[in-house]
Amino acid sequence: MSSNAIIALAAALAIAVSTLAPAIAQGLTAKSAMESIARQPDAAKDIRSTLIISLALMEALTIYGLLIAFMLVAKV
Amino acid sequence: MGEGSKVLFSIFGVLDVTGEVVAMWLIVAVLTVLSLLVKSRLKERPGFLQNLLETGVEYLDNFLEGLLGREKSRKYFTFLATLFIFIIVSNYSGLIPGVGLTDYVKAPTSSLSVTAGLGVVTFFFLQISGLRCGVRHYFKRFVSPMFFMLPLLVLDEFVKPASLALRLFGNVFGEETVTEELYGLLPIGAPVVMMVLSILFCALQALVFTMLTSIYLDEVTELE
Repeated sequence: MSSNAIIALAAALAIAVSTLAPAIAQGLTAKSAMESIARQPDAAKDIRSTLIISLALMEALTIYGLLIAFMLVAKV
Repeated sequence: MGEGSKVLFSIFGVLDVTGEVVAMWLIVAVLTVLSLLVKSRLKERPGFLQNLLETGVEYLDNFLEGLLGREKSRKYFTFLATLFIFIIVSNYSGLIPGVGLTDYVKAPTSSLSVTAGLGVVTFFFLQISGLRCGVRHYFKRFVSPMFFMLPLLVLDEFVKPASLALRLFGNVFGEETVTEELYGLLPIGAPVVMMVLSILFCALQALVFTMLTSIYLDEVTELE
């Protein structure tokens, strides 16, 4: 395998793995937020803002992966 | 990335003007002219434009008040609202047809340099607001639970704005890249899919940036 092929594979892996885990985490977060809203519709506003913040913090991990992938792709 | 953008011309030979900078100038000009226009003819019974802007500002006011409380949100409203308005308009500017395709105008937030700039501004804003709430209290925060937390908490202060900048850049740049790829695939029709999603994501990213900044601010200016 040429080094270019390895770099391309590494870029694909970086984005794939860093999408998988946060996606699971975000799914779990959204699930429990929806359950809480269904149980207590009065608190929907507070739950929603906390939900958006936690989703954004998880999203950051994916973005780091994306960044690494772009840096690797630039080297091919 | 930021280094990839083409330099259109330089001011004094050092300040490189790229497509993003031109877009920022345009955004600032449009926002200023719009605000001055509405301000010059304020009415008791608002017209369409005044109504629109008032609704936006009122929404922002309520949003920040919910996060920070009345007193603090009034005190820091100018900075946080400016941040929100600038980021949301910058994000949406990428959706104007033809903006990403030329070198002359590009969505500002799709460049790491611009978002890093916003991050640096946020960093200084947070530190200065913290210092103005009491120097002793400011330094106490770094050793608050235990003394050995000091290096981590100092590092945290730098990581916060960096992650804000990277998040905004990554999201907007990712959207732009996907739209561009879809444009290459099928110029008419295909990019619409991503652009419709972008309408949601652009607003969300601006919201997240402002929201996280105000939460960090709330932490920094907290008085026991």
